Amino acid sequence: MTIAAKALGAPSRAEDTTQESQLKVVARRFFRHKLAVVSVILLFIIFSASLLAPVITTFPRDAVDVSSSERPAPPGAISSDGRLHILGVDHLGRDLFTRVLFAARVSLSIAFMVVLISETFGALLGALAGFYGGRTDMILSRINEFMLTIPQLPILLIISAILLKRDVVLPLPGFVNKLLSALLLAPEREAQKVVVLVLILVIFGWLSAFRLMRDMALTLSKQDFVEALRAVGASDARIILRHIIPNGLAPILVNASLSLGGIIVLESALSFLGLGVQDPTPTWGNMLDFARAYMFKHPWLPLVPGIPLVIVSIGFNFIGDGLRDALDPRLKR
Amino acid sequence: MTNYLIRRIFQMGLVILLAAVFVYFLFNISPGGPLAGIQQQQRRITREDLARLRANYELDLYWPIRFTRWLIGFPTGPIVIGGHELFANTPVGCYLPRYDESSAGNLQPRVTGCDDYVYLSELPRLHPPIKTSKGILRFDFGLSTVILRDRPVSDLLVSRLGATVELMSISLLLSLLLGVPIGIYSAVKQYSRFDYFFTTVSFFGSAMPTFFFGLLLILLFSVFPVFLKDALPWIPRLPPGLREAVRPYEIASWLPLVQPGSFADRLIHLLMPVGVLTFFNMAPWSRFVRSSMLEVMRQDYVRTARAKGLFERVVIMKHALRNALIPFVTIVVLALPGLFAGAIITETIFAWPGMGRLYYDALSRSDWPVALAFIFITALLTVIATLIGDILYTIVDPRIKFS
Repeated sequence: MTIAAKALGAPSRAEDTTQESQLKVVARRFFRHKLAVVSVILLFIIFSASLLAPVITTFPRDAVDVSSSERPAPPGAISSDGRLHILGVDHLGRDLFTRVLFAARVSLSIAFMVVLISETFGALLGALAGFYGGRTDMILSRINEFMLTIPQLPILLIISAILLKRDVVLPLPGFVNKLLSALLLAPEREAQKVVVLVLILVIFGWLSAFRLMRDMALTLSKQDFVEALRAVGASDARIILRHIIPNGLAPILVNASLSLGGIIVLESALSFLGLGVQDPTPTWGNMLDFARAYMFKHPWLPLVPGIPLVIVSIGFNFIGDGLRDALDPRLKR
Repeated sequence: MTNYLIRRIFQMGLVILLAAVFVYFLFNISPGGPLAGIQQQQRRITREDLARLRANYELDLYWPIRFTRWLIGFPTGPIVIGGHELFANTPVGCYLPRYDESSAGNLQPRVTGCDDYVYLSELPRLHPPIKTSKGILRFDFGLSTVILRDRPVSDLLVSRLGATVELMSISLLLSLLLGVPIGIYSAVKQYSRFDYFFTTVSFFGSAMPTFFFGLLLILLFSVFPVFLKDALPWIPRLPPGLREAVRPYEIASWLPLVQPGSFADRLIHLLMPVGVLTFFNMAPWSRFVRSSMLEVMRQDYVRTARAKGLFERVVIMKHALRNALIPFVTIVVLALPGLFAGAIITETIFAWPGMGRLYYDALSRSDWPVALAFIFITALLTVIATLIGDILYTIVDPRIKFS
């Protein structure tokens, strides 16, 4: 932070005391939103359950209970060696409680990866477009507008179908593969396929972050403190990364929370249609797909992955709502 | 305005062209090419068989030729000007490529040369016009490869259009008839119990996944009634899918049998898919109308209208509502391409024989001409709808002027 910028009243990170109280104000406003707080608690439970999935569950992910007389079996069924299937077993005899937790891990990881990549990417491009204006802005904004008008789901489906049928795998460095495989609790080959899906979802994911950051950067770049920064010789990169983006972060944060819910639903929809994550990697979407075939005899099946899916999707929406109220009181309805 | 229109229509053409190019390259340039699946299934395919297969997808032609043929159906043979055949001996493709020995058996063997070129004069023989499309820009989408083998894609699309239009028009109409009044009433009675209730409902509508909601409806109306048959014998049971039944069936013991194809049969099959679509359209629409109404009702002229002593009903319906609905027009117009495109997820869940399900089938069964045609037409309609929306906006709101 340069002296000029500080003098002209650019928000500073240096003054710790005001920063802390600011955080407190935001937290207090957030806690006023009862539904958001409830959502945080529910999501926390689901998060920790998915983090601790290998510890909580007593069955391996793909283990087939050969001797179980009934497939799918209802909640509370007892396995051949006398253990309890808390939520029953699926059509292949795999423990549903295990799979729904592992699926939580996959679905949540995908959503976080997609949102992280697309919000960063969108915010960076938006900052560039808003800061430089002119032709950069024109081209990026046209692309953005074009992508907003074309129908999303059909395009995502066709890209996904083409890439799936051709078994496209990205060449990733070994340690990334290991990391992903540990994160998704899945073998490396499965993790690599998930990455392809993540990138597919980013295609349309960056659009809203771009718009938000662009508008923000457009107004910020005309303000005096940016002029002052230029005068003291700050580089464009420094102005964008240290001043424009941090100032526009609040709406991006709200947007990220809202789109987490949206991406989870979108990923489930693709997997539900068989064009997303493929079995045996479990996600809530492909579990619902299998449940659909058996629901007439076993009506609890779709509820097992469906209820956590709905809770997470609605939860992220409420949290986004709460964050909006907390971070920007002007936006309050 | 005229200038604006000309520019917009020009831009529209450009966008459509871009969409076509994008779709084409997505399909042809992505790894593996259209033959990836076949090669995976049969590793030991002979060179001649592979050449025949490649010719089937026009892969024997070089890609610029393939692309123009796909786009506008050109060239179909030697170019004839004044009785002279031009470029007849120009090679436009390679029927039998020579592969690198060391890479034989790979998915994509390296090509080192060509043993048998395709010349422009051979095009009518190798790719007869009857089997090739006149070009996607001339609305000829070629032949279906899987779903209705070797029948025109357009036949397939037309056969599914009726079901989709029926489903989508009814649900759009219902969501308008329900969503708009709910939005208005919520705004007029802001913070009332009614308002809270529908705000919550539409919040759930925007966060709930369509497919799970559809499955819940099937559970509720098709599955549970079977389980509860003994306890509650009067409970009606709805058919879980399709557009029409095949044989007579009963909904509940106290109702007469429903004959397949009758009005009642059609209506019963419509109930659940229409319910899902209406719910998911209505939720954002009522929210939009509500916030738009709230904004307008804060305006000075509404206060003036009240001050003049007009009845509240007149103030709301005549002064506030008309202005509140202006931005809503664009949203409704943008929903219109859905009349063609249908609803992929809902149609799939309820086995509704419409466009969305056709697209889904085309994707899962690799009938690419059908899928590409659907994408292209949907993109085209969306672009047109956006333009119409913008024009309508200027008509209903004279404050907006385009330059």
